[in-house]
Amino acid sequence: MFGLPGQGMHLHLDALSLLFGCILLPQVAAAALAGMRGSVPFWAFVLGMGLTLLAGDGFTLILGFELMSAASWLLVMQGDAKPATLYAGVAIFSAACLIPAMFLPVSSLAFVLIAIGAGAKAGLAPLHSWLPRAHPAPPAGVSALMSGGMVKVALYVLIRYAFVVLAPAQQPWWGVALAAAGALSVLIGALRAVLEVELKTLLACSTVEYVGLIAVGLGLALYAKAIGDAELSGLALQAALLCAVAHGLFKPILFIGAGEVKHATGTTSLNWLGGMMRGTPRLGMLMLLGALGMAALPLGPGFAPEFLLFHAAIGAAATGGILARIGFSALLAVLGIGAALALAAAVRLIGLGFLGRPRSLHAAAAEDARRGPFLAMALLGVCCVPLALVPGLILDLLNPVIMLLAPAAQTPPLAYAPITLLVLAGIAALAAGFAQTRWGVRGLREVPAWNGGFGRSPAWLPFGDPHTQASATGFAEPIMRVLGKGLLGTAMTDPAERFLLAPLFRLQTKLIRLAERVRRATIRERLAFVFAALVACLLALGLGQGG
Amino acid sequence: MLAFVLAFIATALHIALCFAGAPLLTGIVNKLRAWLLGRRGPPVLQPYLHLAKLLRKTTLLPDTATELFILWPLGVFLAIAVAIMLIPGFATGMLTADAGDYITIVGLFALARAATMLGGLETGFGFGGAGAAREALFGLFAEGALLVLLLAFALLAQDTSLDGIATAFRSAHIGISVSLGFALAAMLTVALTETGRIPTDNPSGHLELAMVHEAMALEYSGRLLAFIDYAAMLRLLAWMNLIGTIFLPFGMARAAAFLSWPGGLLLWAGKLAVMAAALSVFEVSRAKMRVFRVPEFLGAALLLGMLAGVFLFVAARIGA
Repeated sequence: MFGLPGQGMHLHLDALSLLFGCILLPQVAAAALAGMRGSVPFWAFVLGMGLTLLAGDGFTLILGFELMSAASWLLVMQGDAKPATLYAGVAIFSAACLIPAMFLPVSSLAFVLIAIGAGAKAGLAPLHSWLPRAHPAPPAGVSALMSGGMVKVALYVLIRYAFVVLAPAQQPWWGVALAAAGALSVLIGALRAVLEVELKTLLACSTVEYVGLIAVGLGLALYAKAIGDAELSGLALQAALLCAVAHGLFKPILFIGAGEVKHATGTTSLNWLGGMMRGTPRLGMLMLLGALGMAALPLGPGFAPEFLLFHAAIGAAATGGILARIGFSALLAVLGIGAALALAAAVRLIGLGFLGRPRSLHAAAAEDARRGPFLAMALLGVCCVPLALVPGLILDLLNPVIMLLAPAAQTPPLAYAPITLLVLAGIAALAAGFAQTRWGVRGLREVPAWNGGFGRSPAWLPFGDPHTQASATGFAEPIMRVLGKGLLGTAMTDPAERFLLAPLFRLQTKLIRLAERVRRATIRERLAFVFAALVACLLALGLGQGG
Repeated sequence: MLAFVLAFIATALHIALCFAGAPLLTGIVNKLRAWLLGRRGPPVLQPYLHLAKLLRKTTLLPDTATELFILWPLGVFLAIAVAIMLIPGFATGMLTADAGDYITIVGLFALARAATMLGGLETGFGFGGAGAAREALFGLFAEGALLVLLLAFALLAQDTSLDGIATAFRSAHIGISVSLGFALAAMLTVALTETGRIPTDNPSGHLELAMVHEAMALEYSGRLLAFIDYAAMLRLLAWMNLIGTIFLPFGMARAAAFLSWPGGLLLWAGKLAVMAAALSVFEVSRAKMRVFRVPEFLGAALLLGMLAGVFLFVAARIGA
């Protein structure tokens, strides 16, 4: 069969691969339902991801990983050729880091290469700026699988090497570096998610944030494992893995929903949507569920991982040296601000896209989700329910994985009990219902909105003047003014683009000019060059023999 | 068995008192504020009459709102109601103690904030959108500050549930530390913002451009407005309970010890009265600040929260 000569190809299934396989399975089913069934590159993409998870040796892993990259590049190219080049570049860069790392001895250098290679593929800051460009390009089902599944596969490679293969050489600073990169991703991803106007770009930025959250959890776990803190490593691993599970469920809902918004209205710009909950209630309710997860609110699928992550950060700040503790308290502040930014982004998505007045006739006349995508979203939504209501049971299922990654880890029971909260909310709702029937009157009367006392809009503006409604940019303006200008600059560009991509582009331009100069050389210059090369060669030879 | 029955009764008593007493607390604060301003002020029971009036009024549904219009006030109310059931009041060791983790409470407040913001965006008119955008901004630093504060509490109490923090602070010899002073200042800043009081928002303001919380409720009427107003009253009580539990845990009763209840109840009422008085004095002596000054105000809270943690690290290092 395939494989390195004389060694062959090894497949290996353990708890970790099984967990990530289970994360992928509902997404693949959903993406297939959402209309990708007939696409060959899509199935190659799925095959690549599956092969990466099942790989038992480095060669198979790279084979699967590159198959995944190549197939997803084709899929990105089908959607939009412009980001596809950047995407291919990042994929090649990540391969250039991963392949040498597979054959290096167990060392810190191998970890750094793996972290850079897998981190670039997962969209970990500062190598994330390609993600908000490339993930929105392909059809919705593929976007969903790329955001929910492909970044998880990249993180799987990181976990597999950092925790299992490279375990003998691990150092505390690995975890600290990973957590720092994660905190940066959380901040930039969440902030950009609040500021972006395009629905799919917004969701991709939120993916960067979630990758950051997972990386923070993994980093804390690596740090705790290296310093021998059994409880913290268990807690942080629980947080990271549950975060991966949750993100793999609610993010595809949102991406497939964004695809349906595009199908129904022809746009994904929040500035052209509005009031979609009226015409597309099924789509709207499922998007609301996804947004509940994205905002990490209680009783949603995203709260339990966030809860564990905060506890892990507090646990990390409670032990260790004083500088590390100050650093971990800053991490806690970043996580808190990131959570609030995620809430603002989710509220903005629902509030501007699905509530309020339509901002265009397309949004007003939108038809509800088609059958396939609706079934896909509903499938994922049903999978979210156990995660939202009984996260403790799912944590128990994660135990074998945690034992595999950190054999000494202790996993305390979860202190967040959504069922109790539901029961208490039920009591309050009953009391409110009683008070209303006892002292209140029933019935609703539909009237023109009060709108601060302004008159009704003229007949040629059936939904009023769209400009009197908060726009997507306007809603984000206060946050832009206070936090965005400091972090992103007045031009609102990602720091990674300004400091990483822009210099690369400049370098490329310079190299092209140089190559052009060489190509246009006259015959005399060329002859002079050949002669100079000959002299230099002879000189080097003579000096080498003489010495 | 007896302990369970007592804990159940204490929990039920706490919930009943909180739900019944929240409008009274708002009434007292309003009355005190009016007195300090030299007015006679509305009767103390006015909030009850206000709620009863709203319940009997017709509820209007704006034609530009979607079907979820009625969901958001309910969401705000339920989130705050669950939070108030989880925060200890007069006694520790209630049945809800295990579920009352500090982060769950922060999450419930965030849920209430999200529902308020969505309610503001629902009808799609300018004031609601502006209020929601400002609330999103305030939420950033408020949530960050609250979570950083937990670090100081968790380090001192070795527990992250409110019940555990209260028990530890009541029994252990924490004393008066610089950290807790910073933490109190930060907590009060966040509490003033979250409950929509001066200097960040004006609960009695009726100038639309300056409103934050009120602006998001402009289109609500009738029983939906009653939910929102009642949730605001509950929120004030919840924050007072939270601050009382963490910073003034002395004399709190134990749910399993029946004889400690009367003292605990009396002290609880006393603490709430003191906090209400302090709030009204603070409110009449301050002016409302510009919207874009508020992030600086809350940023200071975030820094104070960080400092509270850092001082604890330093204290642990030098063995103080």
